[in-house]
Amino acid sequence: MAAPALKVENLSTEIRLSRATVQPVGNVSLEIGEGETLGLVGESGCGKSMLGLSVLGLLPTGGHVTEGSIKLGDKELVGLPERELRRIRGNDIAMIFQDSLSSLNPTKSIGEQVSEPVRLHRGVSRKEALDRALEVLELVGLPRPRERLSDYPHQLSGGLRQRVMIAIALACEPRVLLADEPTTALDVTIQAQILSVLDDLEQRLGMATLLVTHDMGVVAGRSRRINVMYAGRIVETAPSEELFSSMRHPYTQSLLGSIPRLESDPGRPLLSIPGLPPDLTDPPQGCRFAPRCQFATDQCRAQEPPLSGDSDHKFACWHPVDGPAVAVSASTGTRVSVTREPAPAGPAATVAGPVVQNGAGPLLEVVNAVREYPVTAGTMLKRKVNSVKAVSDVTLQVRAGEAVGLVGESGCGKTSLGKLIVGIEKPDGGQIRIAGEEIFRKRGGELRRARRTVQMMFQDPYGSLDPRMRVRAILREPLQIQGVGSTREQDDRVRGLLSEVGLPLNALERYPHEFSGGQRQRIALARALTLEPRIMVADEPVSALDVSIRSQVLNLMKRLQTERNMASVVISHDLAVVKYLADRIGVMYLGKLVEVGTGDDIYRRPAHPYTEALIKTIPVPDPAVEQAKRGVAIRGELPSPINPPSGCRFRTRCPLAQEICAQVEPPMRRFGQSHQAACHFPLQTPEPELPLAPSGDAAGSASGH
Amino acid sequence: MTEPRKTGSQELEELGTAALSVPGPSRGLSELTPDGGEVQAIASGWRLALREFASNRLAVICLALLLLLVLFCFLGPLFYHTDQTYTNILNTNLPPSGSHLLGTDENGFDELGRIMVGGQAAFEVGGFASGVAIVIGTLYGAISGLVGGFVDGLLMRFVDILLSIPFLLIVLVIATKYSGTVVEISLILGVFTWLVPARLVRGEVLTLRTRDFVLAAQTMGSSRARLIYRHLIPNAMSVTIVNVTFLIADSILSLAYLGVLGEGLTPPHTSWGDMLGNAQTYVQNGYWWLVYPVGACLVFVVLAFNLVGDALRDAVDVRLQRR
Amino acid sequence: MLGYIVRRLITAVIVVLGVTAVSFAILHFLSPTPAYAVLGTKATHAAVVSWNKQHGYDRPEIVQFFSYLGNLVQLNFGYSYKLNQSVAALFNEDVGRSAYLSGAALVLSLIIAVPLGIAQAVKRNSPGDYAATAINFTLYSMPSFFLGLILIQLFALDLNIFPVGVGDNITTAWQAITHPRQLCLPIVTLALLNVASFSRYMRSSALDELAQDYIRLARAKGLSERAVLFRHLLRNASLPVITLVGLSIPTLLAGNLLIEYLFNYSGLGLLFYNALGNEDYNILLAYVLVGAILTVLGNLIADLAIATADPRVRLD
Repeated sequence: MAAPALKVENLSTEIRLSRATVQPVGNVSLEIGEGETLGLVGESGCGKSMLGLSVLGLLPTGGHVTEGSIKLGDKELVGLPERELRRIRGNDIAMIFQDSLSSLNPTKSIGEQVSEPVRLHRGVSRKEALDRALEVLELVGLPRPRERLSDYPHQLSGGLRQRVMIAIALACEPRVLLADEPTTALDVTIQAQILSVLDDLEQRLGMATLLVTHDMGVVAGRSRRINVMYAGRIVETAPSEELFSSMRHPYTQSLLGSIPRLESDPGRPLLSIPGLPPDLTDPPQGCRFAPRCQFATDQCRAQEPPLSGDSDHKFACWHPVDGPAVAVSASTGTRVSVTREPAPAGPAATVAGPVVQNGAGPLLEVVNAVREYPVTAGTMLKRKVNSVKAVSDVTLQVRAGEAVGLVGESGCGKTSLGKLIVGIEKPDGGQIRIAGEEIFRKRGGELRRARRTVQMMFQDPYGSLDPRMRVRAILREPLQIQGVGSTREQDDRVRGLLSEVGLPLNALERYPHEFSGGQRQRIALARALTLEPRIMVADEPVSALDVSIRSQVLNLMKRLQTERNMASVVISHDLAVVKYLADRIGVMYLGKLVEVGTGDDIYRRPAHPYTEALIKTIPVPDPAVEQAKRGVAIRGELPSPINPPSGCRFRTRCPLAQEICAQVEPPMRRFGQSHQAACHFPLQTPEPELPLAPSGDAAGSASGH
Repeated sequence: MTEPRKTGSQELEELGTAALSVPGPSRGLSELTPDGGEVQAIASGWRLALREFASNRLAVICLALLLLLVLFCFLGPLFYHTDQTYTNILNTNLPPSGSHLLGTDENGFDELGRIMVGGQAAFEVGGFASGVAIVIGTLYGAISGLVGGFVDGLLMRFVDILLSIPFLLIVLVIATKYSGTVVEISLILGVFTWLVPARLVRGEVLTLRTRDFVLAAQTMGSSRARLIYRHLIPNAMSVTIVNVTFLIADSILSLAYLGVLGEGLTPPHTSWGDMLGNAQTYVQNGYWWLVYPVGACLVFVVLAFNLVGDALRDAVDVRLQRR
Repeated sequence: MLGYIVRRLITAVIVVLGVTAVSFAILHFLSPTPAYAVLGTKATHAAVVSWNKQHGYDRPEIVQFFSYLGNLVQLNFGYSYKLNQSVAALFNEDVGRSAYLSGAALVLSLIIAVPLGIAQAVKRNSPGDYAATAINFTLYSMPSFFLGLILIQLFALDLNIFPVGVGDNITTAWQAITHPRQLCLPIVTLALLNVASFSRYMRSSALDELAQDYIRLARAKGLSERAVLFRHLLRNASLPVITLVGLSIPTLLAGNLLIEYLFNYSGLGLLFYNALGNEDYNILLAYVLVGAILTVLGNLIADLAIATADPRVRLD
């Protein structure tokens, strides 16, 4: 092969902050050939973005390269005068950032922004540059590009903005493309579209691409070689297949083992990595992963391992592992996995019913629930001009002790439904019944007492705990409000809970800001459990957390769910997370529940085309699976929830849609014991028309629309 | 006259942490450690804010000097006896000397002693007027934010209207009839400066209401009253405290304006602004001791309160941002 | 856009009505009738009653308010019984001079503050930034008359470059423009005060924008630092300052008052000051109202300016 397009050797960088100096990148080497994609995987704060920025010479103020070399072809970039670097930026090396909203200038039109690098580097006229802009916008698949030229960034959706950003990067046909988390801010279906645009362009234009991401699935099928970065160091580098099949570094091993997968058995707990990534202002001596590593020895803690191995597969570890963790061993260091037997994954009917269950009826019933948020105009009178149809006619049951997951893209109404279930918001139509009663219609003390049956865990671990209360006060608050027990008993219960969620007792006297994100989610979980609710709603419980922290929280939630025999509703955009935690899954699209079924029903036998598309678009950390799926599974963007499409709301993006889909809203049909979907042209054969026992009203009201 | 300000160092700090996002260190994970990991003691909330404030040297010096100045104005007359009641036409406009450290003014009053008396008025009016404003403003803003809807719209439109009236002008007009004592001037100032805190508190209440921890308290069955005193008030406090500092600065400045234009306190009371009333003549006659010492005191006090306010806001921000 | 302007105008009119009502009520409460000011404080009760009757001050307050409003629409601000002239005529005489002072100061302060703020943000935490911040902070805390005094001492008395006050020979706005030396000190004083607050705003807003990703992307395109600042930063960072300029119009008015007083420059401010001493309430009310109307207009203009400069602002 010819000389690599980009070659980085022993690169170290340093950033001086006001109180400390950090070394975000330490002794990193990598090379990318023309037409090749190199994956760079790591958690937030591991220095992967800084690596990209140092290639462009764009480190933040106070940052500079301390050592090493960066070569573009034969040209050394380190130490190159600013003037010449500028000629390379945007011309030979281009970069794509994560957040397309803040990366595009809000007050300049798309045309201006895309044509800017062309005018700069090619010295062409305004008109010619605009023509080129049009060309690249077409290339990245922006619909009706000519009309978009005079649009501003805020007028486009996130997916389209990301296409514009790619167009800016491609405008001058760069030799090297640095893509820094290009799809992290996007929904999965849009992510799949953007990734396929990138795949396509890379092949057509023969660029060298550095794909920086935290998501193993995203790089799996796309890059020939993957570098794993941890705390500023490259800890392992190998060809994709080899990295996934026979990794050597314990970090790579546990990171892969900690990701919940669609195809794996949810009964088996995830591998979890204890602790947190290190503080780069004061990194540990020796191997930086040693404090979290189950195989660490004194040598690891004293001496930093060099990157060694054969030329193709290198790793930096004194005690390398051999391939993926086969089964979860007791040596993960967490009590979770030691004590736990795999939980039965079947429907909760097999679980012994709790004592409180009255009869065989479901514990939670959502009946034809509707929630619409008014869109107002005017400052004074706030006249209602329209409404966002967040939840439209959703019917769902949850039995005692059962875990139900709700999955869907942003804007599908899953969070609104969660808020209806816990009674923070009231439905505009339909009913929320708990143990047969509409408890949120009660008033005063009765309502207060009723509320303890349903508790909630929020997404943002920073916003859900009052910053001015100590943990003791936070955990006692529910007991105080409900008037449960004496001060002493409350205190005992708080202590018990704290150890149950795996936090030390000295946490009691601390304020929320002293905890890491994962620890705060544990506190939030403990608070939700304080009142021993019969149902817990968890809204995106792990999406704000770092990859290596997620499995800790997920395992904990799963253990407590089973131990306490509590019903739960888990809301997430990540089907794998939901499948791991839930017995049954509901798929939502634009305010509608389109399919319900067990994890296997949904994953192996999806009946609704949307469900199938969703599964197809989720990146799987397995090169073989990823390479097999090419092409876009789902086209277009989510329609506005203010004016949802008539009939079936998915029809505008559905490959199977026909005329009837626009006219008649499909009723829920039954595909198995607990499997239902609402589609005119389902992918599975529905069961012959049986009277739909519990969800008959869903079908009834749907046809009434 | 408050506005969002951000210091440069803080910005860089954010840049650093945003780019690197380094949570507390975690080492020595032994068998005994619960699997949630250790909790690093950072400091309690208020102590953290205090430390952040203390790290701002300038603000600490300002605060110390302010305290000294307060002591000087209120305790100084006990040690430095001067006659501030009866004019002495034999001793007018004397330059500084051993018996009159800062000379005398056109009525023969000792200037240093007069600065103390004027300073008392400044601190009293500053404290009292800002107290009035913050009480009215906080209540009004909190009610508006909590009730919401139509009432909120109405209340805020009223604030808009009052904010459109030029503050200093209307205060001057009212002062022509009603000024004289410290209490009167403070009330006049307070009644027209509560608008900005009202807006701030309302904004704060509105954002707090949608915060997850407030929603969480609701799911526990918390009553409205408990939400207000347990979550909303403590969290809205910092906005209020920071605002008081700026209000004091503004009130002292306004009092000075009134004084210069001859609508300040009535004799025998005096304020720094009253003392500067004829400054232009003094400057032309070369009586510098009647202009610069008192002017410097005024500028320093206002500056110090502004700096302390800025540092307080940064401290409170950091405390909440520290995640 | 047109619909937006119309709606904003309607709100503005409502606010102006409210302001008028509140101001009228306050002033009327302070001085229900100018009778004593006209007839002297020792006037007999009967004389006052008959004067009130003659000039309509015996009518119910609400009627008086509406008749005042009616006059206001015809730009009739009432009558100054002290100066024996209509307030409108008095204002008409002085408005040009005041407007020139404010306008020149505003323009000068923007010319200084916008580049200064950006430069400070770009070179943040440098000695130059600290020095500028220190000066800004001091100016921000400085009463305008004290700053004026210092400038008078320095440039008029010590260095003898500029006159101490504006001479009586300046009687029209045109003369004010053609005698720049005389107006230099007042304009600079007023401008410096605005520079203090404008540049602080500009600095913090530029700092916020500099941290945005689009600046990083602009650099990644290969733009020079100058091009990044001029083509990308300037417009976005200036947006918040537009609002501030709109809001500072009434402050300029109040600033005028003290500056005109200090430099003895006969503008609206000095007219107001003299009216304060004379208890000439019609002038006071009119000045307050002009200030309020300017505030509302300033807000409106700032909003419209932002709407044209920022495509994100939806005009509906």
